[in-house]
Amino acid sequence: MKIFKSFRLLTKTTLFYLIFVFITFFVSASYLIHKSNQYINNETEHIFKFREKHVHRYLQETDSVKNFRSTKLVLLNEIRDTAKYPVYKDTLLYIEELEQNQLHRQKTSVIEANGKFYMVSMIVNINDFTKLQKDIAHRIFPSFIILALTIILFSALMSGYLLNPFHRILLQMNRYKVGKGVQVQDINSSTLEFKKLQYLFKRMVNRIETDYRNLKEYTENMAHEIQTPLTIIRNKVERLISDESVMQVHKDSVKAIYNEANHLSKLGNTLNLLTKIENGEYTNSENLNTSRIIIEHVDSIKELVDLKSLKIDVSLDSEHQLLMDPFLFDIILKNLLRNAIRYASNQGPIKIETSGNVLKISNYGEKLEVNEQKIFERFYTSDHSNQSLGLGLALVKRICDLNQLQLTYTYSEGQHVFAIKSNV
Amino acid sequence: MKLLIVEDNFQLADDLSRFLTENGFIVEMSDTLASAKDKVSVYDYDLVILDLGLPDGNGLDIIHELKKMKKDPGILIVTAKNAVEDKVKGLELGADDFITKPFHKAELNARVRSIIRRKSFKGSSKLEINNIKIDLDSREAFVDENLVELTRKEYDLLLYFMYNKSRVLTKENIAEHLWGDHIDQADNFDFIYNHIKNLRKKLQKLGAGNNIRSVYGMGYKFFEL
Repeated sequence: MKIFKSFRLLTKTTLFYLIFVFITFFVSASYLIHKSNQYINNETEHIFKFREKHVHRYLQETDSVKNFRSTKLVLLNEIRDTAKYPVYKDTLLYIEELEQNQLHRQKTSVIEANGKFYMVSMIVNINDFTKLQKDIAHRIFPSFIILALTIILFSALMSGYLLNPFHRILLQMNRYKVGKGVQVQDINSSTLEFKKLQYLFKRMVNRIETDYRNLKEYTENMAHEIQTPLTIIRNKVERLISDESVMQVHKDSVKAIYNEANHLSKLGNTLNLLTKIENGEYTNSENLNTSRIIIEHVDSIKELVDLKSLKIDVSLDSEHQLLMDPFLFDIILKNLLRNAIRYASNQGPIKIETSGNVLKISNYGEKLEVNEQKIFERFYTSDHSNQSLGLGLALVKRICDLNQLQLTYTYSEGQHVFAIKSNV
Repeated sequence: MKLLIVEDNFQLADDLSRFLTENGFIVEMSDTLASAKDKVSVYDYDLVILDLGLPDGNGLDIIHELKKMKKDPGILIVTAKNAVEDKVKGLELGADDFITKPFHKAELNARVRSIIRRKSFKGSSKLEINNIKIDLDSREAFVDENLVELTRKEYDLLLYFMYNKSRVLTKENIAEHLWGDHIDQADNFDFIYNHIKNLRKKLQKLGAGNNIRSVYGMGYKFFEL
């Protein structure tokens, strides 16, 4: 179940990395700007202090007001608001030699000399400083872009190289089919995690294969080995049937043994068949033209149908095709028709219909008392008499599933309808 | 007529051996591939009944061995598996027929006789019990030289009865013999009765006795009167 949209691991790491880089970059950038501001302040303050000292010394010596270069001196007649000084101000001043405005810092402070107060306005050119600072600030964004692009490009290239073993392991997993006995190919990788993944996958496959083989052998052996003892039982019972003195006394027991032995034998064969189908041993798939096969099949069971005074109505589309192993289609037909013959009532004919991509086999009969959903389950049967194995429909269902066919059961207008739909 | 049964299950081999001996064959048994190879190289058999799953190898090897020695007995393969491949391989190698476990002894008897007849012409092409006669070549039945008009199924049924006279043939057995694999389609074997009834009627109309009788509701038996 997907709750969130999923991303590739490397896309995700790259994204996180970019966010991280972005934050680092701008934290360091603001730090840099802060530091350079501090530097500018310190430098200009240093110059201002020097000039103030110079002016102060001058005032103590001469007591007359004079303007220095970049420094204006004014005697204050009355003193007010000395507390609000010094005042700093950045202004643009026109420099004639350069024919342009340049940024200057102005400091206005009040100094005291020989009991008199003077206002000093000093100007320092900070144009070069701020220009350098701005230049640095403006370079930060482009260099972030370049770095980001480099990271993205790098991760794209690396994903091919780094994750290649991972993708190959994924492909192996995807292609893996139980019971095919394939050896998992080694994939070279110097990445510890991938090595571990591969090791675990291999170990898992080996364990699955072993378990599967054991189970398969068990089923096959059961189904197979059971047949010889059953032959012996049946032969011995047939011998008993020929013995009148036995039959006069034990007729019912002998009959029961005989019937059950037959049942067991059929069960073994059918389970064996089911196992083989599930193991995918019937893979000679071809496009079968069903009409000919159905007609042949109906012919061969005509007598059995007649004996139950039933009728089979066949309406076939000569174009109808199924892609599957002919042997398996035979089993489908056999089981669905046996089912139809067994449960059909004489209200109407058994119908076999093909049209478009649907094959339908239907028969009249009472509505099922059993759960319709469960009729395709193994050993689920309403008929616990000797003849019903309870495997026929499970077999048909399994074959349909394995061949991408849709098998449905419906009951309508007094008819049981089994439909097989292809191309779903 | 001499038969070799190659079967590793002693019970089954013994059972078959006794049954076939009762039917007038000389039967030898072999329970391994090695001993079977020894036997076929020393003696000549009319028919080898061959189980493929032997403890020391695949029974198909014996067919190779026989070919090498230019011996050509009839070969009836017995296989427990429903395996199509084994059957096909066996028949390609030159086996005459196969029978799948579990089988009815009567069926085995019929197969054995038909192979021997096809193979060596040693088996008589005529079968006669009381006044009923079968010509195996023309597939016709007679009562006192009068041709009985039988359907294919009725003829097969009569032949099966005569091959296995004085033996109870269960309904299952008869059904399997006549309909083969399609018998899976049937859910009871009572319909056999119709065929038996028709066959009886046709035979008795021409003066045959009441040879075919029902046994305990389980099957039928062909009596020699």
